[in-house]
Amino acid sequence: MGLARYTLWRVVQAVPVLIGIITITFFLANQIPGDPVQTMLGPNPGQEQVEAIQARYGLDRPIHERYLSYLSGVAAGNLGLSIYYDRPVLEMIMLRLPVTLLLMLSAFAFAIATAIPLGIISAKRRNKPADHVSRIVSLIGVSTPSFWIGLVLIIVFAFYLGWFPARGLVLPWADPADVRGAETQFQVIRTAAHHLFLPMIALGTLQMAQITRIERSAMVDSLQGEYVKLARAYGVPESTIVRKHAFQVAQLPVITIIGLGLSTALGGAVLTETVFEIQGMGRLIITAINNQDYELIMGTTFMFGVAYVVGVIITDIAYAYIDPRVTYGDET
Amino acid sequence: MTTPLLTVDNLKTQFFTEDGTVRAVDGISFDVYPGEIVGLVGESGAGKSVATSSILRLVDSPGEIVDGTITFKDKTLFGLEEGPDGEPRPSEEMLTEEEMRKQVRGREIAIIFQDPMESLNPVFTVGGQLREFIELNRDLPKEEAKQEAIDMLREVGIPDPVNRYEEYPHQFSGGMRQRVLIAMAIACRPDLIIADEPTTALDVTVEGQILELVAELQEKYDTAFIWVTHDMSVVAEICDRVNVMYLGEIIEQAHVDDLFYNTKHPYTQALLNSIPRPDETIEELDPIKGVMPEAINPPSGCRFHSRCPEAREVCQRVHPEPRDLAEGDRPHRAACVKYDVFDVGYDASPPLETEATGGFSAGLTQTGPEAETDGGDR
Repeated sequence: MGLARYTLWRVVQAVPVLIGIITITFFLANQIPGDPVQTMLGPNPGQEQVEAIQARYGLDRPIHERYLSYLSGVAAGNLGLSIYYDRPVLEMIMLRLPVTLLLMLSAFAFAIATAIPLGIISAKRRNKPADHVSRIVSLIGVSTPSFWIGLVLIIVFAFYLGWFPARGLVLPWADPADVRGAETQFQVIRTAAHHLFLPMIALGTLQMAQITRIERSAMVDSLQGEYVKLARAYGVPESTIVRKHAFQVAQLPVITIIGLGLSTALGGAVLTETVFEIQGMGRLIITAINNQDYELIMGTTFMFGVAYVVGVIITDIAYAYIDPRVTYGDET
Repeated sequence: MTTPLLTVDNLKTQFFTEDGTVRAVDGISFDVYPGEIVGLVGESGAGKSVATSSILRLVDSPGEIVDGTITFKDKTLFGLEEGPDGEPRPSEEMLTEEEMRKQVRGREIAIIFQDPMESLNPVFTVGGQLREFIELNRDLPKEEAKQEAIDMLREVGIPDPVNRYEEYPHQFSGGMRQRVLIAMAIACRPDLIIADEPTTALDVTVEGQILELVAELQEKYDTAFIWVTHDMSVVAEICDRVNVMYLGEIIEQAHVDDLFYNTKHPYTQALLNSIPRPDETIEELDPIKGVMPEAINPPSGCRFHSRCPEAREVCQRVHPEPRDLAEGDRPHRAACVKYDVFDVGYDASPPLETEATGGFSAGLTQTGPEAETDGGDR
């Protein structure tokens, strides 16, 4: 089986997982005590009003019927109507998802760009001062919650030093007319980077710390491999050994931790968005829960599930791509 | 014979551990002449592998070459001189790390490791790894190096080398991987190949094939070999001359025939007694008693005296250096004080109670002759 077919096969395998996610979120969301109609209409609504609203959002039908129609709706790409925003759920998600993706991607770019060199240096200078420093930094990084890092960053760099804005996010592809103080697209991008910097570090630190630790131990292992000894004995320069021979083998566990990190970063994004008042998916899901917006809760949770599954699939494919020993399921 | 290709003189390599200094290689000297196969034999822990990695100056930390000279052709791979402060420092002729890498490793001296399963990088193709070493050590452009790699794979007996070139190590069997490692060594056209127990991890039939292959290639390319092994039968099969190591020292050094038929050192004798020989019929193999002591704290005097069946009191006191005991015209050196040239009063010295001569294993040694008598009666 080739890589393309393998990819397709993994995507097909993900379908039952997604159906499972929908089922669980649907029934859980409907078990939340309270009534969205009541939240909408206030304490003493008229009977007719309630019935009209319930009919509009399909809340008057029995739960199994609603479940089936929701399921078929999702299959057709319709995530329903948000009660709170009075707009289609999908539209709300499409509005917010780019913000969260931008935040997550930049956090991971920051994490990978710093963690891999740090891990390699740490492994090369094992038990020397550089290694100790990097290990202490990553230990602190792993054990500090992202919202606390976010608060500290705001206090120091936004409040005292005033170097970065403390809240909000600007999308780099936004229209210059909509962005205050920007006239050209380039200025928009600069403003976006300016806004993105602190939340990126707040969200990326945990990932950076985790990746550093794995990178270090994987490199320590592979640098002691017989194949590294062999390459040395054949006069391969040390820099090539580190960059090529030892590095590629060491990336297998690193890819796994990055893939798993994608899901923890989703959770971290909710907190980071709250701390920095960013209008992303995290804030959307909190708004949905606070207002008992069933459709929106289900829609956002489903999207988080999709993101998780996609992360796992990307990990698997990257793994198969890098490690020739991974078979595509048709060899024993 | 002509001038030696490689001369190792009084090489000492030590490991500085927290428990103390491990004298893994403690003053060994030997030569390798062009085109010959020299055996380096001994039990595990005798210092064979440390000796070979010292030749390439690839001893892992905390190990360090502390004394001796290693000369290869006209190059000084390792040498010390007295510095202005009276402390030894690397001599001027000694190659730098950079020169070692560019001029010696792979290009002049190649190595075949013990474990073919671990020695190839799992994420690169077999052919790519072979090609990289050829490119590096023979200054060939990529395409030529690839062709050469395919030719070498064919030469070491890998069927369908064009397709196998693109495959990964996990698609090769142990024996095939060892053939690839041999191809790597030969392909760089070195004058000396160090084979560090290359057949230990293989089963006996594959071992036979590999030994045959090496003998064939050795004849064709006239490459000298240092063959590290603990297996005396492998030594008998392929070596020209043999160095027997015990606890970091070479205790006997001889032509392979002299070593087998005119054994001088009791340790070599003990090694030979512990393997079956086609030219001798015995009822029971006689393993060497006890285990090799730690190199961190070697026994006084002759290091083998604690396990030697012929140990006498003097062996505890006198540490013998190898001396020429040749009876013919071939040099034959051994380090055992029982020979008259050492003249330390071995004959007058009282026998020593050791693991081999008495003590707890006395019962074992007594059953030996009885078993022999029983066999004769039958």
